[in-house]
This record gives sequence, C-alpha cells and structure tokens, in this order.
Amino acid sequence: MQVSRRVLLTSIAATGAAATAPGVFAPAVSQAKPCRIGILAPRSGIAASAGESGLRGTQWAVEKFNAGGGIAGRKIELVIEEETNPKDTIERFQKLVQQETVDCVQGIVSTGVGLALGPVVEEARALTIYWDGTTQDGVDEKLPNPKYLFRSTDNECEAVMSSLLAIKYWNGQFKTIAGINPDYSYGRNNMAAFVALLKRFNIEHEVITEQWPKVGTMELTSHVAALKAAKPDLIFSSLLFADLPVFMKQAHAAELTKGTKLVFPAAGWQHTLMKKDFTPEGMIFGHNTLYFDNPKATAMQREFVAWYADKFKDYPNWEADRAYFAIASYKEAVEKAANARGGAWPAIDDVIGALAGSSVESLGGKGSWRRDHIADQTFVQGFSTHANKYDFVTLDPARIETMYSTELQKPAGANFWDWLKAAKFQI
Amino acid sequence: MSGATSAIGNILIGGIFHAAVLFLVAAGLQLVFGVQKIVNLACGSFYALGAYFAITFVNLALNAGLPGWALLPLLLIAGLLMAAVGPPIERLLRAVYDRDESFQLLLTFALVLMFQDVFRFVWGANPRSLDNVHLIYGKWAVGDFSVPFYNLMVIGAALIAACLIGLFLKRTNFGRLLRATAENRAMAEALGVNVRAVYAAVFTLGTLLGTIGGALVVPTAAASLDMAVEFVIEAFAVVVIGGLGSMPGALAGALLVGLIRAGSLVVYPEFEILAIYLIVIGVLLLKPTGLFGKTAA
Amino acid sequence: MTRGSALLLVAIATVALGLVPMLAPPFYANLLVPFYGYAIALLGFNLLFGYAGLLSFGHALFLGIGAYAAAVIAGVWGIKEFEVVLVGAALAGLAAALPLGWLAVRYTGIFFGMLTLAFGMLAHSILFKFYHLTGGDSGMRVPRMRLLGLEFAAYNKIELLAGPFYYYCLTLSVLAAFLMWRIVRSPFGLHQRSLRDNAQKACYLGVRVRQFRLAAFTISGIYGAIGGAILGFRIGLADPELVYWTHSGHLVFMSVLGGYSNFLGPVVGALAMTLLQDQLQSFTQYWRFVLGAILALVVIFLPRGLAGLACDVGVAVGRRWAPSAAGSRDSA
Repeated sequence: MQVSRRVLLTSIAATGAAATAPGVFAPAVSQAKPCRIGILAPRSGIAASAGESGLRGTQWAVEKFNAGGGIAGRKIELVIEEETNPKDTIERFQKLVQQETVDCVQGIVSTGVGLALGPVVEEARALTIYWDGTTQDGVDEKLPNPKYLFRSTDNECEAVMSSLLAIKYWNGQFKTIAGINPDYSYGRNNMAAFVALLKRFNIEHEVITEQWPKVGTMELTSHVAALKAAKPDLIFSSLLFADLPVFMKQAHAAELTKGTKLVFPAAGWQHTLMKKDFTPEGMIFGHNTLYFDNPKATAMQREFVAWYADKFKDYPNWEADRAYFAIASYKEAVEKAANARGGAWPAIDDVIGALAGSSVESLGGKGSWRRDHIADQTFVQGFSTHANKYDFVTLDPARIETMYSTELQKPAGANFWDWLKAAKFQI
Repeated sequence: MSGATSAIGNILIGGIFHAAVLFLVAAGLQLVFGVQKIVNLACGSFYALGAYFAITFVNLALNAGLPGWALLPLLLIAGLLMAAVGPPIERLLRAVYDRDESFQLLLTFALVLMFQDVFRFVWGANPRSLDNVHLIYGKWAVGDFSVPFYNLMVIGAALIAACLIGLFLKRTNFGRLLRATAENRAMAEALGVNVRAVYAAVFTLGTLLGTIGGALVVPTAAASLDMAVEFVIEAFAVVVIGGLGSMPGALAGALLVGLIRAGSLVVYPEFEILAIYLIVIGVLLLKPTGLFGKTAA
Repeated sequence: MTRGSALLLVAIATVALGLVPMLAPPFYANLLVPFYGYAIALLGFNLLFGYAGLLSFGHALFLGIGAYAAAVIAGVWGIKEFEVVLVGAALAGLAAALPLGWLAVRYTGIFFGMLTLAFGMLAHSILFKFYHLTGGDSGMRVPRMRLLGLEFAAYNKIELLAGPFYYYCLTLSVLAAFLMWRIVRSPFGLHQRSLRDNAQKACYLGVRVRQFRLAAFTISGIYGAIGGAILGFRIGLADPELVYWTHSGHLVFMSVLGGYSNFLGPVVGALAMTLLQDQLQSFTQYWRFVLGAILALVVIFLPRGLAGLACDVGVAVGRRWAPSAAGSRDSA
C-alpha cells in the first residue's frame, strides 16, 4: 500500500476532537502546528518488509492518536524518508532535523546504519528512537551514554530466550548441534550466544557443523545437504530474511526437519511465509516482541491485528510493534512532560527526562525505557503448531513462553559475554 | 547408499541444480554479448522478473483449478511471457549500438535501477514464494540420498536448452547468420543480413533465457527485492570464467561455480563467498580469456 | 569555450561553493561534503575512463580503501590527524591499485569492467566476512580528527563538517583538480588519450601500453582513496556497502551525467547527482526509478553530459552575442 511521503492525518471527527480534548492539552501557541515525526525506514532491499511493517504500525498509531486529539493536543504529521546505507541515511536524518525540523526521529532497522547515525544524533541534539538494530556486542566503545538517542532492545535477546527454552525443554535430548546462520554480526552473535549458554549451563553438546550462508542468499540446497550429511540432533538458526522460508522448504524437501530439534529465534519475522506444508510442529519459534495470535493479547493488539489483516491481507510481525512502541512511548513522555508544565509543549530535555525510565503498553506487551536509553520489551516465543486456521504455523497456546527483556539483555555498562556467563537466568 | 556417499550425492546434485539455473542466465548473457557485444547488467533483473511473475502466474493458474503437475509447463510459459520485455528494451538499447560499449553497459545499469522500483511497486516489499508445489513430482530417493524430481527436471531442461542452443547456432540458417553477425557485423550487413532483426531476436532470446531461469528457480527458492542485484555477480563470474561470448564457456563456467561452491561448503564452509571470486581471478591468471574464450579485444 | 572563459567559470563556481556555508541553510553545507569526496575520486576515475578509455565498474573499491584506512589510522592506531590519514589513504590506494591494476590492465573494454567489478565484490565479501578485523556489516568507526593540527573543539561534528571541514575539502578538491589538470595536460596525459583512441597505433609508436594504463589506474586509485577518506570522515563509519558494485555504478553514472569527455565533467556530475538525489528522495519513494530513467535519458540524448550541454549552450550563446568571434577551442 502507498504511504505517501508526508502523511497529514486528520481525525475522523477533526473539529470534534479539538472540542472534546481535555482543557489541559490546550497550549496557547502550538496547538495549531502539527507535531512532526520523522521516520527513517528501509523500503528496498532485504529489510524492506521490516520497514514496511514498521511503517504500518506507525501509521495505525498515528491514526489512533490523532483520533484522540494527537500528542498533547497537536496532531501528528509523519515525514517519511528511506533508510538505505549509512552515508545516505545520515543525510536524510539531517534533512529531517535541519530542513524539516521534526520534533522527533524514529526508525532504523540496520545495525550498521544505527551505529553510524548514533554520533550524528547526539551532535544534532535531536531526540531519536531506533526501532531495531541494537547490538550489545561491542556497543560499549561506540556510544556509551547517549542523551538524545534511544535504542531498541538488544538484537541478541531472542537468541538468549530461545537458548533458555531449548535448555529448559530439551536438556538431555540432544547432543550434536548444527548451526545455519546468516553470515553477519547478527547471525554470528546469536550462534555464539547459544553456544555460550549451553556451556554456561554445562549442557553436553558438540557443534558438528556451522553453515554461514551469505546474508539473504536463497541458494541453500548445498547448505541443506551439508546439514543433512552431518545428521545433527538440533539445528540452531537465526535466519530471518527471505532465506528463512526457502531454507525451511528445502530442508523439508530433504527430510532434514524430521526428527531434528529446531531452534529458530527470529522465525517470526517471516512468520506468514512459514507455511504448514513445510514447517514442522514443535520447533522453538521466536516472535520477538509481537505474536499476532497471542491468546493473552490485549484488546489493543487484537484491534491492531484485525486492522492489519483487513487492510493488508496479512498478519504483522514484530517490527510493527517496535515502531508502535517508539511512537507510543514518545507520546506518553511528551504528555507527561507537558502535564508537568501545565499543558505547554515541553522542551526536548523534559521529554528525554520523561522518556527515560517510563513504560507503556505496547502492542505485544509492556515496554519500558532504561535509564541508559535502551528499551526493555516483552518477548514471546513458543513451539510451532499446525492446529490453527491459517496456512502457516503459529504457536501452541499451551506452551507459550513470555519473558521480559530485563531477563534477556545485559544491564547497563556490562559486557555481553561476561554477563552471559554469570547472570541469573530463570528457566 | 552409504551415509557419506549419499551426502556427497546430495551436495553434488545441489551444486548441479544451481549450475543449471546459472547456465540458463549465463547463456543469455553470452548470446547477447557474443552477437551484440553488449554486457547486460540487467540480466539479474530479467531473472528476478521471471521469478516474480512466475509466482503470480502459477498462483493464478493453480487457483483457477489447474492441476499441480502443470507446474513445469506453467513456469516455462511464465518465463516465455516475460520475455516480451525483450523487444522494447532492445529498441531502447538500439539508441546506443553505435556508441562506445560503456554507454551500452550504462544503459543496462539504468535498467537495473528502474527495475528495482518496478518490482517493489508491483510485488511489494515482502519476499514472495511458491509453497512446495514442486514436490508434486515426487522425489527420487536412495537411502539417505534424495532429490526432488523437479530439480532433476530443471537440470534436464538446462541440458536440453544447451543442446538446442548449440544445434541452433551450428545447424540452422538463422544460427549461422547469428554467428556471422557475431564475427563481423559490417560484413554480415554488407552480405544482406538484416542485422536489426538479428539483434532484436538475439536480445529477446537472451532475455527469455534469463526469465526462464528465474521462473524455474522460484519453486525451490523465493523472489525478493535484492535478488536482481545479487545475481549479477554470480552470472558475471560464470561468464568471465567460461570466456565471454562462448556457449560451452557458459556451461563450463556454470558447472565450475556451482560445484565448487557446493564443494567448499563441505570442506570449508567459511570459504563459500570468497571461493567464487578467487576462482575468477585464478582462471584469469592462468588463461586470461577464460576457459573457452577467444582472444580478448 | 575559450580557456579564459572556462577558467572564469571555474573560479566563479569555486567562489559560489565557498559561499554555501555562509548563505545556504546548514543542511546544504553538510550535504555537499561528500560531494567533494566524490569529486576527487571522480577526477581520478576520469583519468582512467575519459582519458585512458578504461571503464572500471569496481572503482568504489578505492572509496572503501580510503574510508577503512581512515578508520584504521585514526580509529585503531589513534592518530587523529587528517593529513596523516590522507597520506595513509593514498598509500593504501597505491598499494591496492598496483597489483589489481597489473592484473586488470591486461584487458580493455568490457573485460576490464567485469574484472574490476569482480575485484570490488571480492573486497566487499572480505570486508563482510572477516568481521573480527573489519567489523563486518557494522563497519569500523572513523573518529573525529584534527585538521591541520587544529582541534576545533568549539565546533560539534555537524558544525565542523559544515564549516572548517567544508573549506578544507573545497581546498583539497581545488588542489586535486589542479594536479590532475597538470597530469592530463602533460605528455603523460596525451599518451593516455592516444592509448584510448588507438592502442595499436600508440604501441607501434613506442608507447608502453600496459605501463601507462597501470599508471593511470594507480593514480585513479590514489585519488579514489583520498575521496574515500573524506567520505569516511563525514559518515564517521567505514562500512562494506561503500564498495558494493552498485556504488561503483553510481560513480560511473556521475561521470556520464556530468560528461566524461570534459575535464570537470565528472565533478559537475557529482554535484548534480548529490543535489538531484537529495531532491528526488524527498519527492518520491520510487527515486531509484527516476534516477535510472534520468541515466537512460542522459546516455541516449546527452552523451557529453551536462558539461557538454553547458559547452554547447555556451557556444551557442557566444555565437549569438559575438558572431564575429573566432571559433572555439577544445578545452578538454
């Protein structure tokens, strides 16, 4: 669907909303001026579907918030730019901040782009909330104490959670392990985290093969053959791009998935492509921060999923939740800070002060911001099942696991790998 | 079949399957280069076009009630239909035939850029795929070794295509005209060959090979936005290894790339991406014009 | 266009560029910093393409070399002096260009293009794969550096880029252009053109074809690396996407857009592309399509690029205003 570059969203009852808005949100000057939020989302390439998902989540949020009067009485207007590579994205960011003078920038899915943009965000003194792409591995040297930048939960959270689930449910049932992960930092860190956790809990294991397909490659027949030759008890895979359903198809065709335990922390990104035809039941399947069919979903999530299904004939993945969390927590912080000033639009420092430490109900569950500007969110994983009305797998409602990321990511200032060795995990 | 042999068998077949698809697209590239001296950077875009359209076409057909075993003919038809973009693009390229070959290369690069957004506009940001429809043809299994018949059919199709192209070039009149034009365009024109028609036909044939390659690969893979740009590299590696303009070169290059890639996965998986480039450089160091190439201009 | 009027135009353009940080919104000063990086890289690229007739489709490799050199020298080794980085980048460019060029210049035309494309993608794979060394997809940080020994502590990075660094790059570009002008005007440059026009004949005349091509390749590599160092400073990161083949394609695009048969054509192309891409990306989400269409139009209808167009317009205007003036001299 088309999301035009500038989306000026007027509520269904435009005048009515202003009239019914509580008097406290009636700042003298700025009520007429919309609140402009800049969005940086990938729209082409392998991360395009994530960008699209996030944009849709943002769009829904904006429609909903504007119907309720906007943020502190100001209607929201989105200014959308494309996230491409570090150089161009920095330029688009500066355009948003310097030319378009947006009040807040949200978006970013890629780790590399996020790392390059971070220092620019701080220098520009522009409040920015990343949707994704945070990696705790080596982050300490890069941007230790950002003020204006708020970053998503650590990329490795889902791997940690899946590893804990594998240990909890399958301890003693596997010995030989194979890994097939995309050959970049995300895949490397996830696999390493899995192995580190196995070591930490003294689970006997042997890594018999590690496949590192090029990011996004769909030529996986040889990888599948190599895995089959190795005959592992368990396969760990953080594949998450278009290669994921392709791998599943080819693995199924090669009968690799029969009898092998499968741990797929990031499978939820492509969940609607994981058809029942070739995706087995009983695999550890990660949906990250949004599981669309969660029996314990809030009314808001159900409303969103229904809206999404109706409008796009598809079901959302977690990027939509990341985007919603960014804009919802921003709204919450602005309104809290505005309240503290008797209704006037707050200064950026006030918003930052209100945002850090705050928490909101995001689509997939509770989400909050740590003092070091890293997000904490609710993660949902489980075991795949065919018992549903869709043509793709969902989670077995009897064995859905929910964990808050405080249990899954390292605290501020710690080193990720040291933390893995010593932290108290509740399994 | 023992475990080890079946493993090798699986990997070999995987490599050969990949080589088959590579060959189809590379053959298209070779044909166009051999006759028109154009290197078509948009070959990956044709490949992607074939893949995306095949998914739409097959889904439409299957939903309309066509039986599952019609898959292979449907894919071939889808590829054929998309070859229709060949003639208009060739007309566009006609504007730069007389110019420096770098202009031709650039025009194809412009096409790559344009196609990227066309795919996004028509098919959206999400990757598309066909479910395991191709398994309807069943599998051939011996012990641990198993390969879907579909994969074997694709390999067969590529071999048939190779033979047909070879026969076409060597035995038919038009093929002779093609080779003549490739050797010496001016002379061929002077002798009365309608070079324009030859160019149009060759380019369309090249496009057809590309779109069919994409269509045939899509059941076992998927169509995604970056596949066009990624595929160009491998296709070029095949062509450089095999020798620019050479059909047997396309076959040899494709096999080499497919098998070495597959093999490296067993021996040293980390090596996979680098393997192809190192082979390219290695071949060029030993035989600069490629395995089957004539002396470079 | 006469030599005098061309020089005047260049002088005016330089002054105009110099006024940008003072008169235009700060966004544009920041936007133009990478333009200088591209301008220098393209001056080198055009020695290879416009003058020696070799189309490299892997030239972004040198941009990457420059950026990673900056990351290593200033980041890993901690020498935060931009002059040292420039020298280091140039040396790295030289070191890479010699072996690669030695291999590549055995070929011409399309073969050369494909081989250079392969080299670029090989580098991309290496940068991606050996992530312990290169940071992989996350790249390597390029820290802020001192310019001419000055810290400019009062400026934050954005202000630094739009101010002192902008002028630094402008000066560097002018110097690089001047140096390249001398090169192409020298007997060396004439040799390159003779090679491009008829290599066999040049060979008969005693021109050592391969050595000259290698020299052109090496110089273009050095220029490319210097441009890459500027890009690295601006972005603050050296990442593998800098060397992806489509980035090389954009370099060629810029050359052709500006007009590669004109000395400053590629520089004009870099400027045009920088501004065009900025406007397009704000205008539509399908900017790649528009960019591709523009490239197609330029290739078909404007083979001499914008500079060629400007020259033609200038000549036409000149004829109208001074019909008795002597015929124009070729300035390229």
